[in-house]
Amino acid sequence: MSKIIVTGIGAISAIGNNVAQIHKNLQSSKTGIGKAQFFKSKYVSDLPFGEINLTNDAIRSEFESIENPASLTRTDLLAFKAFQEAIEDAQLSKKDISSTETAFISSSTVGGMSETERFYEDSNLKNAKASNFVSSYNSNTHLLKIIKHYNIKGITTCINTACSSSANAIMLGAKLIKAGIVKRAIVGGVDSLSKYTVNGFNALQILSNKPCMPFDNERTGLTLGEGAGYLVLEAADNCLTKTNYAVIAGYGNSNDAFHASSISSDAKGIIHSIKNALSSAGISSKEVDYINTHGTATLNNDSAEIFGISELFEDFPPFNSTKSYTGHTLAAAGALEAIFSILSLNNNELYKSLNVNTPIEPYNKFPIKEYQQVENLKTALSNSFGFAGNCTSLIIQKCI
Amino acid sequence: MYIKDLKAISAQNTLDDTFFTQEAINITGLIYNAIQPNYRDIIPLKVLRRMGNTIKMALGAGLPIIEKHQIDAIIIGTAHGGVQDSIKFLNQIVQYEEGTLTPTNFVQSTPNAIAGAIAQTSKCYGYNNTHTNSGLSFEGAILDAKLLLDNNESKHVLLGAIEEISTFNSNIEFLEGKFKQNETIESNTLLDSNTNGTVLGEGASMFYVNNDKTDALAKINDLRTICNPTNEELQEILNSFLQKNNLNLEEIDCVISGRNGDVRHQNYYNLIEANFNESNIYSFKNLVGEYPTVTAFAVWMATQILQQKNLPKQAVLQSKNRTNNNVLIYNHYQNIQHSFILLSAV
Repeated sequence: MSKIIVTGIGAISAIGNNVAQIHKNLQSSKTGIGKAQFFKSKYVSDLPFGEINLTNDAIRSEFESIENPASLTRTDLLAFKAFQEAIEDAQLSKKDISSTETAFISSSTVGGMSETERFYEDSNLKNAKASNFVSSYNSNTHLLKIIKHYNIKGITTCINTACSSSANAIMLGAKLIKAGIVKRAIVGGVDSLSKYTVNGFNALQILSNKPCMPFDNERTGLTLGEGAGYLVLEAADNCLTKTNYAVIAGYGNSNDAFHASSISSDAKGIIHSIKNALSSAGISSKEVDYINTHGTATLNNDSAEIFGISELFEDFPPFNSTKSYTGHTLAAAGALEAIFSILSLNNNELYKSLNVNTPIEPYNKFPIKEYQQVENLKTALSNSFGFAGNCTSLIIQKCI
Repeated sequence: MYIKDLKAISAQNTLDDTFFTQEAINITGLIYNAIQPNYRDIIPLKVLRRMGNTIKMALGAGLPIIEKHQIDAIIIGTAHGGVQDSIKFLNQIVQYEEGTLTPTNFVQSTPNAIAGAIAQTSKCYGYNNTHTNSGLSFEGAILDAKLLLDNNESKHVLLGAIEEISTFNSNIEFLEGKFKQNETIESNTLLDSNTNGTVLGEGASMFYVNNDKTDALAKINDLRTICNPTNEELQEILNSFLQKNNLNLEEIDCVISGRNGDVRHQNYYNLIEANFNESNIYSFKNLVGEYPTVTAFAVWMATQILQQKNLPKQAVLQSKNRTNNNVLIYNHYQNIQHSFILLSAV
């Protein structure tokens, strides 16, 4: 059976507008979390955010040939930018992209609701005339616009499992290739900062007033970020002459079946999803060299996640939460963190987990303390867990 | 993949067998509200009170199935999820100027809250996924279920689709021009209206599917989707889809067509139906209205057709007195997202 190879990556987040910039900031342990410059919300004065350092107009100017550019929300724009980088990186031709053997699987939670005020006006008929964004509010609007612009004719779907969305998009793309239904899949997700999500997480009282501190005993909640990440996956026999970044070796998906907005303390969903990922990759937990955790820095998530890991791993492999760089990018997190894991594997690097002073009791396991170069990093586990109990884990391996 | 059990909540009498024995309800106006079951009989009262409509409908259609069968995976298609909760939360944000808000609407507004609530209610720790791809949300869910079963990752899947009527639909989609202007239009004549716009429906259709043929009601053979096709591309897709499934046009006994009375959408339906002069052709949106995941209702209807049940006369567009063994569903959403779903008798 053909392996699933990552042949292209594209990313945008608070630590960079492309993969190269992001890599540099991970190496130099430089966070993107701080005071938001462009995002408009009452909470900008009190809370830090992982905002991308680009205005909508700046991104829009790169995509002027898109039909009706005025209707593009920030979510759409971020998606276009990372998508374009990924397909260029994988050297996909127009013909490849339009081939019915190419699937496109994206994901978003807030979608076009990032235009919160316009959404309010249009949904309450506040103005006689609809806004530019009236057809842009769905979570799949970015997907439909990309499909139109790039003339995509193959299988398409959009996933919304909250914060595990793009991890599921990667899983589904890999499965489509494995089943021989398509030769390649462009997979990932996007979310932009929006009043909608900021107020939602604020109402749940899980936003931190200082940059998030994943896996610190004194952590105070999550920091919201924004971003987009796309990966091109191809069947191994289809990409012999291309850069082979990594192998999507396994995936596990489970529901915690406990609560609408929190994870159970016995971490049932987490344990199932990691176990399923390991068994689908055909490896034992001993073979995992690095864990990119979900690590949101909420009290609930980090306790449950560290408990789940401790149940499955006799020795903790090195782990970090790259959300300490980007903030929580919701639907984009799974794809971005898969890309960060690939950067780790390919460069034999472990990136520092930021803002940890005291490890969580009683485990006393420090996440990665300093940026370091290591020998022979082969297998990474990337976790993504979401509201409504949705847990997904991916096993990503270096190409050998 | 076989359909073993099913349940539909719709604007018609689909909760019991009335749908198969009488004429369809003639609905006046643009809004096709679903006939809701008595949720108190299905959902514990203490959770019911705070529950959003989509979760209620999903449990209303899903729990009767889960009670009978041991499910190990849940896959849902929904374009908008708990969109009424989204609007409520949005209005809170604006009205209280981002003040202290209650999170219930926010939590229920996320579309995966539906599959999450079903998992929680049934303590199903297995595979759980939600597709939110507008007019192809349910199709994405079917594909997902098929992969899952064919890979032997799960054995008993609850597959379904839910959409609710909300102020989102009736206001935003009204602004977009999706609906008719004539508020007195009747469902019995909807498909002959020859004007712009359609009518708005809602519903939940749930299926228990697995790969075991025993006592199956129908087989979902295959599906094919495409976005923004030309006429030629669409015809070519139909031909290659049937060819892949070793069928020729004449072997399709019955076509379920997604006509919705919007004259702007008719071209594609005419194009596809023209291939099937000797087949039975049925409609469904004049019964339950248009919504992005309405093909799940078409699959419900296809299963009943394959069980040789009678459809109300309003569903019959062309009758050729053939026994229905191969059913092809063709639908498109807003001329953009097109799907073919092929089912056959077991």
